[in-house]
Formats: sequence, C-alpha cells, structure tokens
Amino acid sequence: MSLREALEAGRFAVTSEVGPPKGIDVSAMMASAELLRGRVDALNVTDNQAAVMRLSTIAACVHLKQAGFEPVLQVTGRDRNRLAIQSDLLGAASLGITTVLALTGDHVVVGDHREAKAVFDLESVQILKVIADLNAGHDMTGHDLIGTPEFYPGAVVTPGSVPLEPQIAKFEKKIAAGARYFQTQAVFDIEAFAHFMSGARESGAKVLAGVVVLRSARMAHFMNKNIPGIAVPDGIIATLERSENPQQTGIEIAARFIDECKEVCDGVHIMAVGAEHLVPQILDAAGLTEVIA
Amino acid sequence: MRTVPTASANDTLAFGSERQRVYAPCRAKCPVYIDVPGYLMAIAEGRYTDALETVLERNPLPSVCGRVCLRPCEAGCRRCNLDEPIAIAQLKRAAADFGAYPSPVPLARLGFSAGVVGGGPAGLTAAYDLAMAGFLVTIYDAKPKLGGMLRYGIPNYRLPDYALDKDLDYILSLGIEVETDVSIGTDVTVAELRMRHDAVVVTTGLQGSRALPIPGADAPQVLAALSFLAAAACGERPALGAKVVVVGGGNVAMDVARTARRLGAREVQVVCLESSEEMPASADEVWEARQEGIKVDCSWGPTEVATEEDGVCGLDARRCTAVFDSQRRFAPQFDESETIRFAADTVIFATGQSADVAALGLELTPRGGIVIDADTMRASEPGVYAAGDVVNGPTKVIDAIADGHKVAAYVIRDLTQDTSRLEQLAEGAEALGSVPDSMKSKIEPKRRIQMEKLEFYEAVRNFEEIEQGYTEYEAAREAQRCLGCATGARLSHEKCASCLTCMRVCPHHAPMVKAGGFLYFDADMCHACGACASQCPAQAISLEGHSEEEMGIRTQRALEGAGEDTTLVFACGCTPSRPDMPGSEVRTMTTTCLLRASETTVLKALQSGAARVVFAGCVEATCRYPHARVLVEQRVSLLKDMLGQLGLEDRFIATTEAPEEDVHLR
Amino acid sequence: MIVVRLKPLAEICPMVAHHHRVLVVGCNTCAAVSLAGGEKEVETLVAALSLASSAKHETAQFEGDVVQRQCEPEFLEDLDASGYDAILSMGCGAGVAFIAENCQLPVYPALDTMFIGVSKGFGSWQAECSACGSCVLGETAGICPITRCAKGIMNGPCGGVQDGVCELGDRDCAWVLIHDRLAAQGRDKACSIGDPKDNAAKTLCPEWDMNKGHGESR
Repeated sequence: MSLREALEAGRFAVTSEVGPPKGIDVSAMMASAELLRGRVDALNVTDNQAAVMRLSTIAACVHLKQAGFEPVLQVTGRDRNRLAIQSDLLGAASLGITTVLALTGDHVVVGDHREAKAVFDLESVQILKVIADLNAGHDMTGHDLIGTPEFYPGAVVTPGSVPLEPQIAKFEKKIAAGARYFQTQAVFDIEAFAHFMSGARESGAKVLAGVVVLRSARMAHFMNKNIPGIAVPDGIIATLERSENPQQTGIEIAARFIDECKEVCDGVHIMAVGAEHLVPQILDAAGLTEVIA
Repeated sequence: MRTVPTASANDTLAFGSERQRVYAPCRAKCPVYIDVPGYLMAIAEGRYTDALETVLERNPLPSVCGRVCLRPCEAGCRRCNLDEPIAIAQLKRAAADFGAYPSPVPLARLGFSAGVVGGGPAGLTAAYDLAMAGFLVTIYDAKPKLGGMLRYGIPNYRLPDYALDKDLDYILSLGIEVETDVSIGTDVTVAELRMRHDAVVVTTGLQGSRALPIPGADAPQVLAALSFLAAAACGERPALGAKVVVVGGGNVAMDVARTARRLGAREVQVVCLESSEEMPASADEVWEARQEGIKVDCSWGPTEVATEEDGVCGLDARRCTAVFDSQRRFAPQFDESETIRFAADTVIFATGQSADVAALGLELTPRGGIVIDADTMRASEPGVYAAGDVVNGPTKVIDAIADGHKVAAYVIRDLTQDTSRLEQLAEGAEALGSVPDSMKSKIEPKRRIQMEKLEFYEAVRNFEEIEQGYTEYEAAREAQRCLGCATGARLSHEKCASCLTCMRVCPHHAPMVKAGGFLYFDADMCHACGACASQCPAQAISLEGHSEEEMGIRTQRALEGAGEDTTLVFACGCTPSRPDMPGSEVRTMTTTCLLRASETTVLKALQSGAARVVFAGCVEATCRYPHARVLVEQRVSLLKDMLGQLGLEDRFIATTEAPEEDVHLR
Repeated sequence: MIVVRLKPLAEICPMVAHHHRVLVVGCNTCAAVSLAGGEKEVETLVAALSLASSAKHETAQFEGDVVQRQCEPEFLEDLDASGYDAILSMGCGAGVAFIAENCQLPVYPALDTMFIGVSKGFGSWQAECSACGSCVLGETAGICPITRCAKGIMNGPCGGVQDGVCELGDRDCAWVLIHDRLAAQGRDKACSIGDPKDNAAKTLCPEWDMNKGHGESR
C-alpha cells in the first residue's frame, strides 16, 4: 500500500526522512533506511537540505525505490528554475517516483555555498500549481505532454508559526494549488496542534504531524532558539531536565505524542535526525506495531 | 577639485535664498562692521594673527579700540539674553596683544596725493585707506605726536602710549608721511595744501573746550578739560588745589576727575546737570570713578565760580529739575530755591568741546564745525573734504573711524572714479534676530571671564594701565563663549544635491526644505557647529573660515618647517590639555570642533609631512557641541578603517577624552 | 534612488595600482545622496589614494572631479580626462559603464551599487525596488516581495519566518508586513495565488525608448 493509498484509506500513516550523502557512497543512507523497513509508509528524501550541497534527490529516490522503499521526492525552488523543476519532475515520474513534496527551500546564504545565486523562480505554491499542470497533461505554459504523470503532491505547514495568520493563508493557497497532504514542522503541544487541525480538517487535506525525538533538554532549548516555528513546551523541557535517562524520556514523549495524534490527524512524519535506530522502538511504544507491507 | 566652483563666503547668499546678507548683531551694530564672530572664532582657535588681520580689514586701530571702544557691539551680543555679552573689545585687545601685525600691502601707486589734516582716529583711518588705495599721503598735525584725542585726550591709564603707537606704527608702515607741530591755517594755509595735494582731508576734531558763561569762569584756577588732559598726557603736572570740582557728566569729565586724582588732588567732585540715569558718561566709567574715591553729584546747574582773594573757593549751583523737554531737546529747568556751594580750589570745565578751525577759511556752522556737502563730504573749498568730530560734533572713537573710511571712499571715488568702496559702505546688512526660545535651553550658560585689573587704591597712585589684558588661555576661553552667530552654514544652491543630510544631522532644526525641494537655513537657529558641513557630500555647505581649502592652508602652516617625526594634533577648542608624544615634535592645530578637521584634511596632513595625526578629543564638561561627538567618533572609525586598509593604521590616533588640567582661572 | 557604497580601499588600490595619473570622478546625484560619491567623498578618496601612493614612494597622481550625473551624455561632455591614464568612477554601475562607453580610458568602479532604495535617516537606506520590470506593488500593499523578501517569493511567508523576522535574521519578513498592511487596509488578497514572475519583462528590456513605445516585452 502506497502512502497515498494509506492516507486515502484513512489508515494512520507514518513517514520518516533520509538525507542523501555529500558524495556518491549511499551505503549509510541505505543503512538508516533499513532501520525503518517495514515500519514506515514512505521515506522523504531531502533536497540539498539546509542549502548544503548533496547527492541529488532523484538519484537518492531511485536508490531507495530499487531497494523496495517508497520515496517521497522533495522539490525546492532554491536551485532550479521553472524549466529544471518541470524537467526533473518528469524525469522522476518516468522512474516511477510520483509522491512529491513541494517546498520553497532554505536560502542559499544559510548553507555551504553562500555565494551561490539563489533561484527561487518558483516557490512552494507555484511548484504545486506546476505539478497540477503536469498531472493535467501539460506544462505550465500549456504545452501538451507526451505521457501524463500522476503525482501525489504534498506540502509543508508550520502550525506553530508566529504570526500564524499568514501561515494559514499560505496553507490555504497550497490546498488551492493542489496539495493533497501536508507534513508539519515538528509539533509538541497536542492541544495547540488539535486546535490547528480543527481548522485544517475542513480543507480535506491529509496532515502528518511532524515529530522530532528530543534526546536532551539542551536539544529542546536549541530547537526553540534556532528553528523557526518550533516551540517545545516548558513542561517537556522540565521533564527532560529531571530525567536520569533523557533519551529514554524523549522516546516516551514522542511515543505518547504519536499515540495522541491518532485522534487528531492522519499520520506522523518522524524527523529522526540521526536517531533512525530509535524509530522502531518509538513506534512500538506508540502502539504502531504492525508491519507495513 | 577642478571644475566645481567653491563658493566663497562673500559671493554666496549667506543662508540660502531666504536672506541676502545676515550679520551677527555685534557686527551689525559696529559702525565699521568688524567681522566680530570671525575674529572671536580665530581667537578661540588660538589664531591671534588671523584674528588681528580680520579686525584690521575694517579697523586700523585694534590696539586702541581694544581698550577704549564704547563697544556698541556688546549691546547686540546674543548672549545678552542668556547670560552676559562676550568681552568683544577686550578680545580685540588680545588679538593686538598676541597677534603679529602684518605688513600692509597697498595697491600700486596711482600718482595721487592726499593731505590729511589732523592725526586722530578719523584722520588716521582716512590716511590708511588712501594709502592702501595707492595714494601718497601726508598727515599734518598741530601736536608733536600723532593720535589726537587718543594721545592727548584719553588718559594713559586707559590707553597707554605704547598701545597707541602699536597701531600707529602699523598705519605708518604704509609709507605715510607725517608733519607734526604744523598748524594748518597759521603755519601753512589750506590753499598751500591744495597746491601740494590732489585732495585735502580735514579731520582736526574738537580742540576747543566750551566753558560755561558764568561769573568767575575766567579765574586762573578754572581750567579747561582738554588742555588739562593734554598737559597730563605730556607728563606735565598742572597745578591743582586739594579740592577739585569737575563740571560735566560725560566721559571726558570722568577722565578729568580720575586724572586729577592721579595728579594728587585729595578730593575730586564731579558736578553735572544730568541725573545719574541721564549722564552721558558710560556707566562703567562712572562706577570706576566712584571706586577711585570720586564723588559724583548729579542734577546741579552751576551758577557761579565763587572766588576769594586767593582765587577760587567753590562752585555755586542750583537744583536742575529737568534737562530735556518733552521732545528730548536740551532745555534745562531749575529750582532756584535749592542751591549749594561745592568747596573747590580748582574747577575744571568738561562741559563740551568745540571745533577750533576758523583759521582754515572754510565755511563753518553756527557752532563752529565745518560745513560739508552730505553727498560728497566736500567742504566749501574745492578739493577739500572734512570728516570726523570737526563735522559731526563729539562722537565715539569708532564713529570717527567709520567717518574716516567714508571720507576716504569719497576722495577715492572723486579722483579715481572707483566707486567700489563707497558701494561697500552703502551696503546694508540684516542683523540676526535674538536667540529663539527653543534654542535657549540648548546653550549652556557660561560666565564672562573677567579681565585682571589694578586694584583701585593702587591705580590712583599713577597712570599705569588699569586693565591688564587677558592671558592667551583666558582669551581663548572667553572667545569660546561666542555663539558664532551668522558664521554658520552657508549653502551653495548650485552645488546642493538636496540629499537632506544637513537636516538629519542638525540638532537645532536650522536647515529646512522649501517647496520645490530647495534647502535653506534659518540663521537664527544655527549654532555654527558645523555638523552639516562636515557631512555634506556635495560640499555645498561651508562655515566661515573653515572651508577645506582654508583648513588645508592652516594645516600647511602648522606643519611649516616640521621635522620628520612630527605629530600634528587636532585639538578640540574645549580641550586644554595636549597629548604627550614622547620623542616626537608636536604641532597643534586647535579647531572649534574636531568635526572641522575632515577626512581629507587629516589625510592631506599625513601626506604633507605629519608622521602621525592625533585627534585630541573634547572634554565632556566643556564640550561646545555635544551632539557632534557621535559624528566625530564615526569619522575616527572611518579614518582608522581607511588607514588600516592602506597599512597605515599607526599614523592616526584618536585620544580618549582628555582630563581637564587644573587651569586656574582668574 | 540608486544606493551605492564605497568599496574597501584594499579592493580599489590594486585596480588602479599600475596607472600613473588617475581621475576620480564623483556623481552629484544618487551617489552624492548616498554619501558615497559626492565632492566630499571624491576629495577623501583622492587624499587617501595619494597618501597610499606616497607612503609606498610611488608617483601615481590622483585628482578629482564631479559631474552632476554620470548617466547623462551632456554632463559627461564636461568631463576633461585628457592627461589621465585611467578613471576611477564614484558613480553607480550605470555611471561607470557610461563613462567607459564615452571615453577611451580604462574605467574602474570605486563603489558597489547596492539597490534602489529610500532614506531611513542619516546614513541609512533600505532597498525597496529591484527594477523587475513588472510591478506588483498594487497587490502587495506597496511592499515589494521581490526586493524585501530574501527569496523574492510571491505567495506568502516561507517556513523560515520566526516572530515576523526573516530566516536570514537581518530583516522583517516582507510577507508578514504585507499581510499586516493589507489587513489594516481591509484588503484581503490572501487566497489569490501569485503567478510566477514574468521575468521576460526585464529580460526583453535592454533599453527603453519611449519614442518607440512598449515593444516586444509587453
């Protein structure tokens, strides 16, 4: 069952993500994917994440697909103009990669090639529109395609963004532009997230809650300070601070949150950030024990 | 810069388009329009010679006027409304004391010759102007030495001979010929003078004393003020009794009374018609006379000089109830019932002066003055001009100087057809208004620095000069009180890029935008701090005396003959201390504010031979322009950055705030 | 106006190092208003380069001149470059280019051209326009997302915004500002999707001749 099928069937879905290497040796990437085999519906493949140059997303997706995983192709507007984006999408579709996630992309100046020209010819909403165009059998200028792809487009939303209103407006634009599912920036406060979802539900889009496994109070503090839209509640930080085994506590916190999400949204997107080996344990603790085919 | 014209102070409409020419009120009130803020600024920056040259542009008698001018300028000083006026005259003396008199350079000889009759202030000024214009000039004077009333009227304790001679030497260095002990009309006739010269200028002043026509006035112990003063000036000791009564209420009466004290009179009494409020003598003079133990009795009209066999025994007088009528005309009223006798051995009349020029054969007024044509200053004989007190009656020294300029301008016009001097004299100027209320709080009150004087008990023993003069430090401090009125921002519209930077950096809201995007400056608001000029990218704003060019010249001057390891210190005017640079020759250039030393000025100084440049920062407590400090800091960091990039970072040093030295102010 | 700033001297010096007599030319319009290329800055640069040259015992000479606008042929006619072997322009890029086009000498830039912007106060400017050739300010409450959003995006804030500040940390998020101002004006454009930018509008405008009217670009 693909991610699309799972979400459309109403099964609580689980995704995670892997980062392509800087270089051509994909063994570490594949090893971390192996740790998740059978426990996730799909694996997101980041696109030069944080504007740090790495192996191409499409190539990484192909490696994963060949190994039997369902990859989610992240497409950003940072490095490619509208020709390259369409062309890459068609290329991906031709290789059977159709689950895509449209993002604007981090700015080049935060990455490792800060003097690069930032493209941003299209941003997330426009990329979603382009995907809709391709799915309709033509490119964004109306020229017919030979062979029509069937992308399942998704996007991201940050429920904790401050101020929230422009974020919600953009969320609505993304839905209007064809986003079928969303993964969120990491969320920790289930009540605030539930409030966001009560509005989001009306749109009909599927939402995967972003989950980050906190491994220490320091990590929580760091994320609060440095990552836009993330707010780890003080209570969680206090719990981590009190814990004798913060990693175990972090696993428990993530598991409880995932368990609570079952009533609130359509799935979770686990950003393990180097702790992929903990994911099965978390899912077990969250009661998601069944093996995904 | 090659092609962009630099606006000079004179060719610019001073404050943008709003006003044609605005003078500081001190300057506007000066009969000869001395650039007072200009010379005060120079003194504040320690440039005494520049200050002296500025004064000499308008007044060839700075040493004299620095001592005896009645200073109409100070009444106009905008500090009057804040604390006390600047000691403008005393600072003029400081310029003459510490500055070097230049060598005046006359225009090429024109072949014209002028004879000036009378070597007082009007005659000296006229002679100076004519000589500067290229005339051959001869001054004739009846006395053995030049100076007129300056030498023979004003006592030495106010104006010593050396102070007068300083100015005379300067004037005569133009090559003016002098014939003394010559009475025109008796020794030489006017007709003879007309043969010798193309123009004759009569400036003989008022040499006669008017006595009151009362009984006893012809007694031998009754003296005339002028001859008494002249005798004292020549070192004679006119015979005086123990009790001297001086009749008169003007400055001459005070001079006579004080001179009499110095000549040994035990009791000196001044008796005058006017009430103490109406006395024509300046309040300072009256106060000083009283300090010297002189009694001043007002509102008495003398009726008779009482005499006995031995001579004068007193002065009888009746109460004067009013001196002037409702139209301010002289019409004394008396109360005959109230009379008094002032005991006296000697009576000196200081009740007015008269011209004594009947022998010249010129047409005279009923009071004996020379009649001139107001439009030409010519007297009744062709080629003969007259000016000064002999025409106008008694006036101030500075008025006589102004009249001397005027008559010279007429002579020059008549003989050379050059009207420029006359036009210059006719040019009016608007005076700056008083300090707006919104500005008052931004000006820190500062007390006027009192000049050291002889104690009065000591002063009356001889004719030594009472005022001792400022020290250089005191002069600079006093000059720093000047608000620099009307010396501030001058805008060249031609160069202005309308960037509005001046508006943004001015803390006093002096620059404003007019409709159409043109800038203009409200001179009333301007503090002459120079913040705008220092930041103007188009160099469209200049401050008087501080253009890039002028600063460059001064830098060169400061570095003249400097050795290899010379440190040039740009010192803020408020910083009395100087950085210690061991092993280095230190040259100092004081500026009103460090902002006046631009980046270019500093860089050029380094290129002109300064091994390093130091900015000696200001002292917070005395900083004249506190708001400028942030801009100075910006300039310092810009210079450091630039020189650092050129690998020359060790050649510019900004000192931190220098602690004020414990300088004792008297 | 065009906002410019002085290049580091360490960058300027090598450019003119091999020349003997260099004319530094200011521009009394935008560059002067930017406090970077007026007569004052020309004099300062001339003094700095002269000092650097003499400190190294070199004989290169630097002199200054200012023209009203370097981007006008008539103003450039006043420029007398005879006797010089290079020009150092203190104008914007257009000024540098136009002098280079109008004289035979090598021309070097002393300034970096930053943006089209507005004054925020003494010595402070903000970019407001990118000269994109197809203005959208009518839809964005007068705040240019092309210029003031680091990514120049068209459909609202990216995920990098934090408390209304851009992920680059050096500016307010343009889209938060746009959203706020539209809301304050009672204008709700949140749901209409901004089309991809028409980049051809600029690409096809190497010059603009009003006598010929809108050409192919529109």
